[in-house]
Order: sequence, then C-alpha cells, then structure tokens
Amino acid sequence: MNPNTVTFIQGQIVEEELHLTLMELCQACHAEQEHVIAWVVEGVLEPQGDTPLDWRFSGDAMRRTRLALRLSRDLDINPPGLALVLDLLDEIARLRKHQQHT
Amino acid sequence: MKFVDYYEVLGVPRTATQDDIKHAYRKLARKYHPDVSKLSDAEARFKELGEAYAVLKDPEKRTAYDQVGSQWNSGQDFQPPPDWNAGFEYSGSGAGAGPGEDYSDFFESLFGRQSGFGRHSPRQEQGQDHHAKVLIDLVDAYHGAQRSMSLRMPTLDAQGHTTLQERRLDVSIPKGIRAGQHLRLAGQGAPGQGGAPAGDLFLEIAFNPHSLFRVDGGDVFLDLPLAPWEAALGAVVTAPTPTGAVQLTIPAGSVAGRQLRLKGRGIPGKTPGDLFVVLKIALPPAVNESARDAYRAMAKAFDFNPRAQMDGVS
Repeated sequence: MNPNTVTFIQGQIVEEELHLTLMELCQACHAEQEHVIAWVVEGVLEPQGDTPLDWRFSGDAMRRTRLALRLSRDLDINPPGLALVLDLLDEIARLRKHQQHT
Repeated sequence: MKFVDYYEVLGVPRTATQDDIKHAYRKLARKYHPDVSKLSDAEARFKELGEAYAVLKDPEKRTAYDQVGSQWNSGQDFQPPPDWNAGFEYSGSGAGAGPGEDYSDFFESLFGRQSGFGRHSPRQEQGQDHHAKVLIDLVDAYHGAQRSMSLRMPTLDAQGHTTLQERRLDVSIPKGIRAGQHLRLAGQGAPGQGGAPAGDLFLEIAFNPHSLFRVDGGDVFLDLPLAPWEAALGAVVTAPTPTGAVQLTIPAGSVAGRQLRLKGRGIPGKTPGDLFVVLKIALPPAVNESARDAYRAMAKAFDFNPRAQMDGVS
C-alpha cells in the first residue's frame, strides 16, 4: 500500500441510516436481551414490529438504551420507574431548549 | 496521594448499618448522577460516591477499609501500609475494579486493579462494540470532511493491567451529521475471538463550541447586533453564516429578540435545518461631546418613556 495515501473510514449515521435488530442493539450497547425486552414492554423503547424477532429499533434507541443501562445500574431503577425517568428527562430537555431560544 | 474518607463521602457515621449506607448512597446518587444532574462537578462527585459505595456496601471490603481508615483523616497524605490487606480473603470476583470502571489512585492502591474483562473464551465470539465521543467543527457538518482523530482506549496487557492506548483514526465525517448522532464504523471495535468478526466502533458526535453559532438539532442560531438606527430605519447588513457571509435585509421597525429565519441554511440533510438570526440592539457609547449631543437630541425628539408599562404598577 502506498504509505502516502490515507484511507478515510466511511461510517453510517446510526440515527438516519440504521434500523437495529434486538441482537444488534444489545451488542451495540452491551445490554442483556431480557432487559431490553422489559424496557420495550414498559414503553422505554418503541421498536417497529410485533415480536422480538421482528423488532427494528431506530438509531435513537441506542442513545436511550445506553442511558437506561446507566440509570438502572447506578440507581437500581426498575423498568416502570425507568420509563418515567426517561419521559421526565425528555420533558426537561424540551423545556430547557425552549428557554434557551426565548 | 490523599486519604479519602468514604464515610464522609456518603455522609454517614462509621457506625452506620449496611442499610444506612445503601440509603445514603441512593439519595446522593440520584442527586449527582451525571445523566440527571446539571451541577458542573456532578461527574466527579458521582465517581467518588460510586467508589465509596463499592467499598462500604461490601462487608469484606468495608472491614478491610476500616482497619486502615481509622488511622487517617480525609485529605491527609496517604500511603497504604505494606501488606495491609494480607490475610483478607475476598469472595466473589476479587477486590479489584470491575470491567471498564475507572477508579481513583486511592482506591487502586487499596483494592488493586484487576479488571474482569480479560476472560478468554475459546469459543467464537464477536468482538465487543466500542463507543467514543468526538468533537467536530460545525462547518464539517455543513460540507462533510475528512478528519484524523486520536482516541484513547483502555486495553489489557498480558498481566491483566489496563493501559491507555492511543489510536489514530481517519474518518469521513458525512455531510449533515448532527450533534448527539452516532457514526457507526463497522469492524473498528474490539477484535473477535476465534476468527469471529470484530465489533463496531460508535462515535457520538458533538460540536466544538463556536463563538458565533449555537446549534439545536439541525437549526443554527446567530445573535446579530444592530445599531439602533439600523433596527429603526431598516438596513442591509452583512451577517456571517457557517457557509460564508450573506447580505441580510433588516426590516424597518425591528426590535431586539426578533428572529429572522433563513430557510434551509441550517445543517443540511433530508430535512435541512434553518438558520435563525436573532436581532440584538447595540447602543453606541456616549464617549465624546458630539455623541452626547446626539443622545440629547434624541431625548428631545422623542416623547418616549420606556417604562410606560410600569406606570401605576409598584
């Protein structure tokens, strides 16, 4: 290989170009399948598809899953509590944004 | 190295029960969790809490810590006595820090650093996916860019110690990427075991702070100062944008806080963002006699009470 040429790695934007299966989401976030399934049941994550095998998660689910993992591990929050916390964090982020631009 | 009083960190007396310790940790963890707290030192505080709790929640480690701890005060210079924990037998996964966890020198001097993620399994296993956060310039999201970045990655050496390895990565930044989005680089994570494929590397994108532009999703905001007469009479002014300067028509009678939307001039994409120009009024300073005369003339020319709304309210 010519040492003067640098190959730049092409990536994919997860949020726009990817739909992850349950397996891929767990691999990407180092999450246990049973946890992710419990979070879907509680509405923390909202994949498309009917059964876990058909589930397709949008790219944004990766951010939510990693957040859910940290919160459940660090604060020992159960799935219903987690769903509430994530909803409230979304609401706070929305309000902060609103405040910032007015 | 300073001695850290884990009881003080959790705000409990040395005589606290295991339940007291758990209760104190939970309460403080909710307050300082970096995903929840906006305090600037939340991350450091939370790390300290986690460390204190890791020791005090475990009766074995707590007993060992108490042996040393009773002779030191918080902040004192500390050297662990030789063989201080000899004779303590730890059950479970050993006394060391857990996988990927980053404990202080103080903690490691006492409990060592034996990471758990060196388990070698003979079976085929795909490499772990890695995550890293990288900062790019806003303009790179407008045009796309090729950037070389260096990442520091903890890796295990043959003795099971973690070391930070610097790694250079040449990455194409796709046009239109937004802060908070992730870029997946296939096969750039940890190598697989037994011939299995490597994991992926996920780069979380954030923008370097810019002196002029603020970003919200795909929308970009710019504060544009105007002279009072430009705002009152209307004007054509030059405004910077991430793609170069533009001529902007300011309508007569503009007030501070008014936003002019430049449609589609935000971050590009399937639904491109907008550029919002937020008007500010800058007052020329009255530094000489002619400037003061101009202000006096204004005062005379206007029958203007900026506090008219406040009359009768007190």
